[in-house]
Amino acid sequence: MLLALIKIAILLGGLMTAAAYFVLLERRMAAWIQDRIGPNRVGIPLTNIRIFGLGQPLADGLKFILKEEFTPSHVDRALFVAAPIVILVAALSLFAVIPVGSFLPSKVAGHPLSDGPIEMTVAPGVDAALIYVFALSSIAVYGVILGGWASNNKYSFLGGLRSSAQLVAYEVPMGLGILGAVLAAGSLNLSEIIAAQADRGWFALLQPLGFVVFSVAAFAEAARLPFDLPECEQELVGGYHTEYSGMKLLLFLVAEFLHMITAAFLMVILFLGGWHFPGLTGSSMALDGWGHPGELWLWGQALVRAGVLLGKVFCIIVFFMLVRWTWPRFRYDQLMSLAWKVMLPLGLINFVVSACLEQLQGTLGYAWLRWVAIALAWIVLFGAWIGVSLLGSVTENRPRRPAQPLESDLRA
Amino acid sequence: MSEWRDQLLQMLPGSSLLVWAVVLGGLGLWFRVALLDRPTALFSRILGLLSLVLLGFWLPRFGGWAEQVTFWLLASVAVLTAGTAISTRSPVYMAIWFALSLLATSGLFLFQNAQFIGFATITVYAGAIVVTFLFVLMLAQPEGDAPYDRVSWAWFSAPLALLAGGVLLAAMLLTFSPDGPGRPDASLGPVVPPSALATDQHHVARLGGELYSRHLIAVEVVGTVLLVAMVGAVAIVIQGKSAYVPGRQDGSRIRGRRDAPSASSGGAP
Repeated sequence: MLLALIKIAILLGGLMTAAAYFVLLERRMAAWIQDRIGPNRVGIPLTNIRIFGLGQPLADGLKFILKEEFTPSHVDRALFVAAPIVILVAALSLFAVIPVGSFLPSKVAGHPLSDGPIEMTVAPGVDAALIYVFALSSIAVYGVILGGWASNNKYSFLGGLRSSAQLVAYEVPMGLGILGAVLAAGSLNLSEIIAAQADRGWFALLQPLGFVVFSVAAFAEAARLPFDLPECEQELVGGYHTEYSGMKLLLFLVAEFLHMITAAFLMVILFLGGWHFPGLTGSSMALDGWGHPGELWLWGQALVRAGVLLGKVFCIIVFFMLVRWTWPRFRYDQLMSLAWKVMLPLGLINFVVSACLEQLQGTLGYAWLRWVAIALAWIVLFGAWIGVSLLGSVTENRPRRPAQPLESDLRA
Repeated sequence: MSEWRDQLLQMLPGSSLLVWAVVLGGLGLWFRVALLDRPTALFSRILGLLSLVLLGFWLPRFGGWAEQVTFWLLASVAVLTAGTAISTRSPVYMAIWFALSLLATSGLFLFQNAQFIGFATITVYAGAIVVTFLFVLMLAQPEGDAPYDRVSWAWFSAPLALLAGGVLLAAMLLTFSPDGPGRPDASLGPVVPPSALATDQHHVARLGGELYSRHLIAVEVVGTVLLVAMVGAVAIVIQGKSAYVPGRQDGSRIRGRRDAPSASSGGAP
């Protein structure tokens, strides 16, 4: 009980701090790409010390808290208040089943902390963990839709509508992308999926097509560019949170960053090996201290594993931010045809191919078959790439029907 | 509390207590849904609460108070939000109450250690189906209630629906009550409680094994039905789609296939 509370406290504190500093990182990266300097002035308060603007998140947070929290008179008050709460609660409680490392040793300096090794998950041993993640990320959609609807504003409303259609559409390829990994690992428990990858190789290597499908869907689920149609500034002011200000807006923005962090965690855990790094972390699930006796080695190994996982997550988040400043936004019909006409069939192909390869390896059991399976999976990936680019159903930028005269022109 | 319960159960044996609870709840809902008058709102609430209390007396007890409180909280939230969902006027609020009811239901599943079905309920119902409802409702009525919403509640349909629902509910409760005909047959061997299976480490794998061995036919049939429904939905969409025909210079749209035999089905991208 106490252990769970400590874990929750560490997780919440870490996540909120991480979200705040990722905002700073995003602003600095935006500045770097646009050849500006970015926020570099705020350092330690009440002094003149500027540490590369590392105090900026504090100033941002204070600004959000102290700003006037204006509720327009035309909104549906109950849902207007409930929407940001729903989205943040869903985004935070999703992390209950996500491991941030493997285990911690049960002893520190000879004193036992607990009966067995401490799993670095708030709720360890949830067997249907991946479904839990899915369930809560689908609850988060409510925050967006209700926020858009309750605002009683046409831009907010359009943002809410776009978001609901987009999230429902991309849940399908996301699920299909996950299926291959779940099939190969034989479990829905995230820790066991990592252990399976430490044993057999990262699933990004074994199922590259599944990784691509899942990553695209994860970008869409996190509503990051090039999929940020729910709130694209040029068309919808702020999208579903146009009418929000102060703390409520902060809750929305934090939840958006948490969605990105979740997506990065899932990509790392499901496809990039989690805490596993060849030759660095050991490949058995239990800590072995690299074969050395003594709890210091165990602690070292535990920390290295957590560091590897968090480092991978950090790299994926930097990738998210790079994509934001290098890709233009999709048009809405392109978004939809990417989901239904490209990603859905590709997800199905990946699922069928990986199921066949798994079955083949399981029944024949030759060691060299593993390399054949990897080669086949990569051939399938490139085949799919060439097929999609030949069909050109998404990248084609022409209008679907020739331009017709406007009604006002006809009347004139 | 337990003395009251014993006295009440002596006055009204289990089945008649249940019937009273269902009848009172139905009356409360009828006042709420069919009459839609403000003055009866309080009355309907009192009736509903009374029926819930009676139901609570009828339900069996758990061992510890923590389980008891959790169960009562989840169960009453599920029932109350479901009642609010069918009696509220705004379609968007209706969908939200329905989603809350689903959340409480999945809480009840989790309470029974049924992880998979609990999370799947949220994912499938609250996450996909109700979101689709919301999408359609918002498209249909962006400015709230329409006056013709009331027409569908003609005077006889609501009582009839309530009656049917009440009979169904009472039948199910009576069948599966501890002394009803739906209790597990002891002559077939000892009953394995579901929680014994659920605390297993490989809960989902065992569930899948069970589904794809003992219930294989049912799973396949359901899958086929869903596939047919999906194909049907796509067919309907293609039928009603206005297709642009490249040959026509006026750019006029063509609806359906009947009046355009030369038009290829589906849009021409």
